[in-house]
Amino acid sequence: MRGYLDTLKVIALIALRNLFASRLKTLIVGGIILFGSLLVVVGTALVDSVDASMSRSVIGSVAGHIQVYSSKSKDELTVMGGMNMESPDLTPIDDFAALRRTLLGVPNVKAVVPMGLSSAIVTAGNTVDVVLERLRDLARRRLAGEDVQAAYESEKDHVRQIIKVLSADMDNVRKIQNEKAISQDDLAAAAKAASEELWAGFDRDPYPALEFLENRIAPLASDADMLFLRYLGTDGDAFAKSFDRMKIVDGTAIPRGQRGFLFSKWVYEQQVKLKTALRLDRINDGISKRSKTIARSEELQRWIKQNVTEVKEIMLQLDGQKTASFRRLLQGELGSQQSDVAKLLSEFFRVDDANFAHRYRFFYDKLAPQLELYRVRVGDMLTIKSFTRSGYVQSVKLRVYGTFVFEGLEDSHIAGELNLMDMVSFRELYGSLTPERAREVQEIKTMAGMKEVSREQAEAELFGKPDLGETAPIGRAGDEAEAVLRSLAGRQQREDRASQPYDPAQLEQGDVLNAAVIVKDPRRISRTIKDIEAAGAKAGIPLRAITWQKASGLVGQFVTMIRAVLYISVLIIFAVALVIINNALVMATLERMPEIGTLRAIGAQRRFLLGMLLVEALAVGVLFGSLGALLGAGIVGVIGAAGIPASNDILYFLFSGPRLHPSLSPANVIISLAIVLAVSAISSIYPGLLAMRVSPRQAMQSDD
Amino acid sequence: MNHIVSVSNVSKNYNLGQVVVPALRGVSLDVAEGEFLAIAGPSGSGKTTLLNLVGCVDTPSAGTVTVDGKQTGQLSERDLTRLRLHTIGFIFQSFNLVSVLSVLQNVELPLLLQRALSARERRERVLALLDRVGIREYSKHRPSELSGGQRQRVAIARALVTRPKLVLADEPTANLDSVTGTNILNLMKELNQSEKTTFIFSTHDARVWAYASAVVRLADGQVQDRVSAEEAVRAGGLPTGRPV
Repeated sequence: MRGYLDTLKVIALIALRNLFASRLKTLIVGGIILFGSLLVVVGTALVDSVDASMSRSVIGSVAGHIQVYSSKSKDELTVMGGMNMESPDLTPIDDFAALRRTLLGVPNVKAVVPMGLSSAIVTAGNTVDVVLERLRDLARRRLAGEDVQAAYESEKDHVRQIIKVLSADMDNVRKIQNEKAISQDDLAAAAKAASEELWAGFDRDPYPALEFLENRIAPLASDADMLFLRYLGTDGDAFAKSFDRMKIVDGTAIPRGQRGFLFSKWVYEQQVKLKTALRLDRINDGISKRSKTIARSEELQRWIKQNVTEVKEIMLQLDGQKTASFRRLLQGELGSQQSDVAKLLSEFFRVDDANFAHRYRFFYDKLAPQLELYRVRVGDMLTIKSFTRSGYVQSVKLRVYGTFVFEGLEDSHIAGELNLMDMVSFRELYGSLTPERAREVQEIKTMAGMKEVSREQAEAELFGKPDLGETAPIGRAGDEAEAVLRSLAGRQQREDRASQPYDPAQLEQGDVLNAAVIVKDPRRISRTIKDIEAAGAKAGIPLRAITWQKASGLVGQFVTMIRAVLYISVLIIFAVALVIINNALVMATLERMPEIGTLRAIGAQRRFLLGMLLVEALAVGVLFGSLGALLGAGIVGVIGAAGIPASNDILYFLFSGPRLHPSLSPANVIISLAIVLAVSAISSIYPGLLAMRVSPRQAMQSDD
Repeated sequence: MNHIVSVSNVSKNYNLGQVVVPALRGVSLDVAEGEFLAIAGPSGSGKTTLLNLVGCVDTPSAGTVTVDGKQTGQLSERDLTRLRLHTIGFIFQSFNLVSVLSVLQNVELPLLLQRALSARERRERVLALLDRVGIREYSKHRPSELSGGQRQRVAIARALVTRPKLVLADEPTANLDSVTGTNILNLMKELNQSEKTTFIFSTHDARVWAYASAVVRLADGQVQDRVSAEEAVRAGGLPTGRPV
């Protein structure tokens, strides 16, 4: 045995001396290997870190480890990263309790959270609507004899102020565009609203005037932007328990057994907040977090320009008192004699790098307290209208309990676009057969003398008769206004229901579209998926279970894509390295034919030569591969300490926060060295064969 | 007397494309242990081919070559290599030392391939041998730092280090000046006598014949005759009469 080691030594000696003898070639080959192994170490470390952080993002926010849904579904489930508003068409699973039982029977399953994904367009928080509603309330109480005269007068002033703002705005539009830009009807309506006629009899009988204002004037205020809300119906408690990154920011969680709505803080900021304030926030972020300047950034300049021109949004909120207060504050701040508050606001929002910080503070300290910064406040009722699966408009009025974030993902659009709703309300909006509605259907059936109503027909039966249902029958193409009018009848009843608690057992009994599964051991996900599908089949619930990567849609595939790109580049680099090392060794073999022949003649077996070339290739591989890995580890260390800033929203989500701090795992280095060694070994095969074919006669260089 | 090498009716053809070139034609030759045999002949007479066959780096097209009791034609490539390693030592015309190894390492190489001795034993034997061939002081040098004669001494040491029964030398003096050549021949002869190692060397240098115990003269791939050194020298040249 001892001889082996010594033989190896001499092989190594010859190999190393040969390498040294052709230094330049060795350096070129080594350089390529060094770069390759560096790329592998840095690349895999980065991708692994992104993978880990992204899986934290995805698993910790909505997806869980595994998503389960009915295998009868038409579409595939994606819970996030949906770039459009369309929710996937899923077939509901009827009995969540049975589903939960089945899933919890699978060994690795820790928790099951019921879910349903849908979206709705909500027209909430039109300033004029809000003001008119307040006025209506005050008028009613005043007529009822309550002492609300002062508030009533102030609100009345506010409405008249709004009409003035709207009229001026319409005039502007006509001036800027043309006479026909505003319809005659709207102009007439505005004129009527401003007329003394309308207001003369208001104190006595406000309702006709209010109705006119609500129907004709409120729609003119285009700040009634629609809110596109994607929401997740779930069991709030189970959700909070399983997704512990979820934190309430404002308000409270939806109390158990209560219907309610939680805004995602991101949606709340982006969609519900006063646009002017949102733009100021964005400018502030741009300057303080992304070190931009107003002077150089076109983006910031655009936001400033929008703030300067779009002051109407604020003007609509100002009643007489506030108008005066704003005038005084702005005149003081700007040192201006201008009395037109709209112009003062424009002037105030025309900021530059020098005064932005001060004005930003001034806005939030002095102006914002007098404004409704959010169109929907915590505690407000939110009416959500949604098309049910069978095409009817269903609406539910829900209390907004608060806002929430997923910790670490506060600024991520992808994680932030889902709002939360109690499962029971979700089922109603989705058109599921809740126990309440089942009862109603039963009544209808009794009345109509019908025997059976299938799930698909239940709604049609329930809402197909306007005089019976709480909601009017409106097809997809139905006129929105008509819908509103007809649903007025059911309004009171719905509000009552909104404040009605429900039996928490209902959460269990009804249907769900999908469910998130949290597992005990995340390494066994693929196994658990098989188990779940098998258990579903056995329990008569045909299930499809998918990993969080798949459930998170495009975003989830992102890391797979990066990994593919990385592996392909690594493949190319090492393919090149392979060819070059191979070539170098072939050259070396050809140059050394006499020497190899001599070695063969004096008794070296073929494998000795093979070993020699292998050692040569491996030596270069190990030396430069290790150097590359070491260098790569250093780079990862430096990047890890500094962190890679997430420059955009997608990166923010992938990094699971504002910075990615990649870390090195032994696997990164091991993989790199393994690849290098394999490439070295493979590249010495052909020259090895060549060397083995060298005849010992080569040593005899006689003239024979 | 035992025959260390026995060549019997051997032919060797080389295929050069379509043409078959006969290098040896019906050669028979017995070499006794301890001989110091010269194979003489002009270029193309088949000297090197014969040495290749005897040295087990090639096998005959017809006939048999027996080395140390083994018929080479029946041995596998591996066994031939093993036979070379343990039984035969080679001395080449252009020395064929491994340029990246030191003198000591070059000489040690066959022992390493044999894997029979410990490091200390190897070292002792190598140094003793270097002492014997007179280049011990150069043991740490690279071949490129030595003169031709010194290099051939290294080659001789390498050929002898395994204590082979047979040493083959292919024109060992061809690349050396006459004084050095004579010294090398003296050394080889000395080792032949002291170690009882059989030497077979090819040469067309008439001065070398004087050292041989016998001279086998080849011409056109056939054995012309086998004469004593004296006869060969007296004949004054090669069988073809061509002066050297």
